[in-house]
Amino acid sequence: MGLENFSYSHTIGIASFLGRGFMNPVDVRLDSEGLLFVLSRSNAANKDVRVSVQTLDSEYMYEFGRWGTDPGQTTQPTAIVLDGDDRVYVPDEFMHNVSIFDREGKFLKRWGEFGAGVGQFNRPSGIAIDSDGNPHIVDHLNARVQKLSPDGKFISSFGTFGTEPGQFNFPWGISIDSEDGIWIADWRNDRVQRFTPDGEFVSMLGSSGSSDGQFDRPSGVHVASDGTVFIADWRNDRVQVFGQDGSHTETLIGDATLSKWCQEFLDVNPEQASWRENAGLFEQEKRFWRPAAIETSSDGLVLIADSCRHRIQIYNRASVLAEV
Amino acid sequence: MTTVARKHEDEAVMAHLLRRAGFGATRDQIDQYVARGYEETVEDLLNPSHGEPEDQDLMDRYFIASVEARSVGHADPQWSWRLATSEKPLEEKIALFWHSLLAVGGIKLDHGLEMLTEIELFRRVGLGSFRTILFEISRNPGMMYWLDNQNSHKDAPNENYGRELLELFSMGIDDMGEGDYTEDDVKTAARAFTGWASKPTPPPFFLGPFPMEFRFDASDHDNGEKSFLGETGNFDGENIIDIIVKKRATARFIAMRLYLYFVSDEPDDEEIERLTDVFQETDGDIRSILRSLFNSDHFKSAAVRFHKVKSPAELVFGAARLTDRFDIPDMDSSLLANQSLFMGQHLLNPPGVEGWHEGEEWVDSGSLIERINFAASELGRVEAPGIRRMIELVELAGDDLQPEEFVEACLDAMGSIDLDNGSKAVLVEHAGQSGSMGSADRIVEMFQLIVSTPDYQYC
Repeated sequence: MGLENFSYSHTIGIASFLGRGFMNPVDVRLDSEGLLFVLSRSNAANKDVRVSVQTLDSEYMYEFGRWGTDPGQTTQPTAIVLDGDDRVYVPDEFMHNVSIFDREGKFLKRWGEFGAGVGQFNRPSGIAIDSDGNPHIVDHLNARVQKLSPDGKFISSFGTFGTEPGQFNFPWGISIDSEDGIWIADWRNDRVQRFTPDGEFVSMLGSSGSSDGQFDRPSGVHVASDGTVFIADWRNDRVQVFGQDGSHTETLIGDATLSKWCQEFLDVNPEQASWRENAGLFEQEKRFWRPAAIETSSDGLVLIADSCRHRIQIYNRASVLAEV
Repeated sequence: MTTVARKHEDEAVMAHLLRRAGFGATRDQIDQYVARGYEETVEDLLNPSHGEPEDQDLMDRYFIASVEARSVGHADPQWSWRLATSEKPLEEKIALFWHSLLAVGGIKLDHGLEMLTEIELFRRVGLGSFRTILFEISRNPGMMYWLDNQNSHKDAPNENYGRELLELFSMGIDDMGEGDYTEDDVKTAARAFTGWASKPTPPPFFLGPFPMEFRFDASDHDNGEKSFLGETGNFDGENIIDIIVKKRATARFIAMRLYLYFVSDEPDDEEIERLTDVFQETDGDIRSILRSLFNSDHFKSAAVRFHKVKSPAELVFGAARLTDRFDIPDMDSSLLANQSLFMGQHLLNPPGVEGWHEGEEWVDSGSLIERINFAASELGRVEAPGIRRMIELVELAGDDLQPEEFVEACLDAMGSIDLDNGSKAVLVEHAGQSGSMGSADRIVEMFQLIVSTPDYQYC
């Protein structure tokens, strides 16, 4: 079945322990100039974590935030976000803090420590920034969202553990829409919840399952500027798309072609290329395996972190393209 | 026997069962199991409900690279977590048994995901019929690759799988290297398994690994008539397994391996013959054999308690479970497999097709230091809930304990373990030489001394 509102564009990435490529990318963001920032999670013990920066044409540029616990290092990073000055924020659920880098990857500072008090975290996961520049951090084992000021001071928080509306069960991703509404991927409740900028519950999407509009551990949520909601339906290996009214409109399951980096790898490794041809799993190669996060651009790109295939799959949105 | 002595013996036997059918138990768990009853506990252990654990999603979230584990190292966090926390200990213990007996080496396979799939196979069928186990492992793509059945063709059979199937997986050989089968039987088995292979998968170097799958290629299978172990027919691999599992040599071999794994490092011929009979009477039902084994007077006797060397996995996960500190997957739990590796047992990567050599071979001067250091470190975690509870139990035993009573209280709090009189005397003497025995520091020190004794290396 073809896509109605999207067309597949291209894929960036190759499995790589360092440098060019990714290792289990769990988040993806564009900066103000269109550079692509990708967070590789890896397994902490394998030490392949990093934020890598590349162009949308697959030109690798640099990386930072590699494995460790010293300032400027990350151990179990969970998400990234860039603020209006292109500073990069990286929550880390091993160190229970948020590291902040400039656009070139120079370490600036980090906030937080383990705990349940204000400004403390117990495994921070998703992060988003509102229109005033305030970071909102999903403090997931404390089952709350903390709002900090741009200089890291605690402002407010909301949420408790549970399954009732407004409660959280191992929440993961977060998105802030154009009106500063807050959307949370309430991961273990198999739903996405929407809140006002003050943290008042508004509505929720989804239930447990694999039908349209149902989720199996949604990890990422992203609300595009036109209000379209993208949800990474993690254990169903798909991304579901919803309209502003919450109606399900489309499901993406992955359409990847070989990335430029993969093609170059196979070109110089003909034995590997032959091995791949012999396997012939070309349909399987296309599909998402644990898509974790989504990013969109103003010119209609939809970028999806395909975490267990070590790549970013990129689509075009037909409606936005028509407007542009 | 007095009531107190009877109670003590019931607890000691239950603790023994839980060390052998699992990775040990806390004092409170032993009490719960004793209240449930010995035979009822055996049944509970033998009949775990199989299925995805409730916390599998958490494991996958925190260790995303283990979902598509490209290597053994990437897969480690998954099995470490299960071994450290599973409430179905025999399911994990039997998986470990088959993992060593039907060994697939992780380094050659270089496919962590497939290694985890194999462990899951052992969890699923490991307590069932040996025929099913042998059939499923013969259709396991990792095994087919590991033992070169990819290269076994009807015009040129590769004997590797047929040979290991007979020699190491089922009928076995004696001390002289002889089995109840001939070289011709090996060649025939190899012919019968031609066409059994794994599907090719893309290399893992650009998109990560793809799940492996079994493939039967009928066009590459030898359909000719075959004679095997005295029978003649148009046999395929499944027929070969059917013939193998009916042989008494197979029954004896599996009974022997189960005995050595669950009972003692020293075989007892009479008991092994009895278990061999059970194998044959039940068509090789592993659950029935283990039921008979665990419920036997021989197994329960004091003569076999603490006379089996703990494998590294038993020592690491036994000590870790005592701490009761793993409520959510974390870096610590993910690294437990490394401790086992340091002591000589690289989980998900047996050293060869023979699996691990067990018993006294586990311990040398280097591994002994690792074993003691690790166990002492775990028992020194005073903030861990399990250690706090053990301290509390010793404190509840009384505030003016004599040295011997203090040592006994510590041993009891650690899960009704026992030491020989020599080791115990040294600990009693130490306890009597230094100050108050009631402080948490002194109690923890005694726990650490206990796990540093030679006796603690045995289960």
